[in-house]
Amino acid sequence: MKPASPSSLILRICLISMLLTVMLVCAWIAGISVGSSDWSLKEIIRTITFARNPDHALYSIIWDIRLPRVIMAALLGASLSAGGLVFQALLRNPLAEPYILGISGGAAIGAILGIMAGLAPFPGVSLTAFTGSAASLLLILLMASGSTILKNESLLLSGVMINAFCSAIIMFLITITHDSRLHSIMFWLMGDLSMVSMKQVGVLAAMVIPCFLLLFRYTNTMNLIVLGKDMAHTMGVNIRAATFILLAVTSFMISATVSQCGLLGFVGLVIPHFFRLIIGSDHRLLLPACLLGGATYLVLCDLLARAVPAQGELPVGVITAMIGAPLFVYLLKRSAR
Amino acid sequence: MAVCLLASFVFIAGADARTVIDQTGRSVNIPDCPARVVALAPSITEIIYALGRQDILKGVTQFSDYPPDAMRLPRVGSYVHLDIERIVALKPDLCIAIKDGNPKQVIDRLEELGIPVYATFPTDLATTMEAIERLGVILNAPKAAEDLIYGMKQRIARIKAIVKAAPARPSVFFQIGLFPIVAAGSGTFINELITLAGGKNIAEKKGRYVSFSQEELIKLSPDIVIITTMARHGAFDKAEEQWKRWPNIQAVKNGRIYLIDSNLVDRPTPRLIDGLERLARLIHPELFTADAAGKKQL
Repeated sequence: MKPASPSSLILRICLISMLLTVMLVCAWIAGISVGSSDWSLKEIIRTITFARNPDHALYSIIWDIRLPRVIMAALLGASLSAGGLVFQALLRNPLAEPYILGISGGAAIGAILGIMAGLAPFPGVSLTAFTGSAASLLLILLMASGSTILKNESLLLSGVMINAFCSAIIMFLITITHDSRLHSIMFWLMGDLSMVSMKQVGVLAAMVIPCFLLLFRYTNTMNLIVLGKDMAHTMGVNIRAATFILLAVTSFMISATVSQCGLLGFVGLVIPHFFRLIIGSDHRLLLPACLLGGATYLVLCDLLARAVPAQGELPVGVITAMIGAPLFVYLLKRSAR
Repeated sequence: MAVCLLASFVFIAGADARTVIDQTGRSVNIPDCPARVVALAPSITEIIYALGRQDILKGVTQFSDYPPDAMRLPRVGSYVHLDIERIVALKPDLCIAIKDGNPKQVIDRLEELGIPVYATFPTDLATTMEAIERLGVILNAPKAAEDLIYGMKQRIARIKAIVKAAPARPSVFFQIGLFPIVAAGSGTFINELITLAGGKNIAEKKGRYVSFSQEELIKLSPDIVIITTMARHGAFDKAEEQWKRWPNIQAVKNGRIYLIDSNLVDRPTPRLIDGLERLARLIHPELFTADAAGKKQL
């Protein structure tokens, strides 16, 4: 990190945020314009610009179906990539990511149990998902406790094992489910955004936006944690308390996202790495960049998911994993060098 | 139709809707004369055609392949993964759903968007006929529904009369899955049809969809094995080969392994009766010779 004067830092934050906001808005407009039903661009522009006498069906499609969907994708992308950023800082491991660590898997088990028990998406399934993610987080911390947490291999191996265990349980739950709930579980597992309503968006926003704000308070602390515990101590930071709060906030955020829209892998890996390459490792810059950039990324992934197949649509989780998994392998190879 | 015309004269503005209770007990506000209907399952499409109301059918789901005419209608995704956007784009004034299949959240979402959804819930022949009757009422074709149901009941009665003469009830293994081996058990249309057709479903007491190990099958040794076309692309030959590895099983010994069109036995439509007749002929071929019971061949 280069020491920067406060005013130049603020300037950089503003610049990056503005640039990324513009990109997010562009992604939103693209997302709103594309869908499974065919409309001409002219009609869509007429509806978005509030022209008089819009087509009733198109109006409903844009404002009630596509708009909630693109906002939801943005919220999910933002919280997943911010979650990845926080885990990478806390565990001082660039490969940490909720999906890879198995935290999403734990949340998935909780959510599936919730679906099977016939609970409502909120608060029922959200709560069971949260319990699941908290349990697997605890397991990861126990398995990789102490100094070994610094090592890539042990942390990743713990994650691999937890994921293997979680997927075994998920498979088991799927085999004992035979009715129509099976389909909901399958689509949910692949990360499906096709059914999002404004109400769901509101619920998720109410849960994750306070978390975002809280994370902003801890950007300096994250910088110090990355530099090392001793360094943080000399700067008068209570590592234990900060770690605890960050872990709790992040796992709450992740389980809230997972419970709403299923498993979307690797977003928390791709985005923080991308921005670290471009703007360095200052978390005061990285956090806003990850929030806005992650939002844009997932809106675009969701756009691809809708635009690629001729019949129906792909679950967006398929797209994020197709992009994310090869990147993960590349990063792993690079960090081994 | 006449009712529609009358209704539109009596209630001129805004009042051309009625509240009805659907087959799942939900109260739905539907138009008096639905004009743009989307069928959310292949079985619903079939029923609407059977009622002669295809003129108001504007959208169907992916596997709506019967009657062939339905293939030209716009698709709105598969019945388990509906594409809400395409449904809305068709501007329906009524969607017809099926409880065992369509996800609840899609139904809720459509209602949120102001599209009424009438849900059917057929679980056996009786409730299938009830669904047909109900759709006849809401789609203003009550007479057609009545005729359909009368015909179905007649044909069921005839099969019942014929298989009554059977000396025994052969055991039937109805295979709907190949790997793993899964059979249709109690609570399925298949189970009811097998029973009516004079057979005994060996998976009956074990739940709805039952997995079997090869060992269990050898021990149970069914008299007849019926495989559905749900397993497509030459899978029947593969399944038959699998069975032939166990020559001690009765059905294999006597060469009684048959194939049946799955759409005739698992879609709650008037065609279930075709399935019933076909099953009866497979299970009791001796009762269906040209002169049996003095009836014409089915």
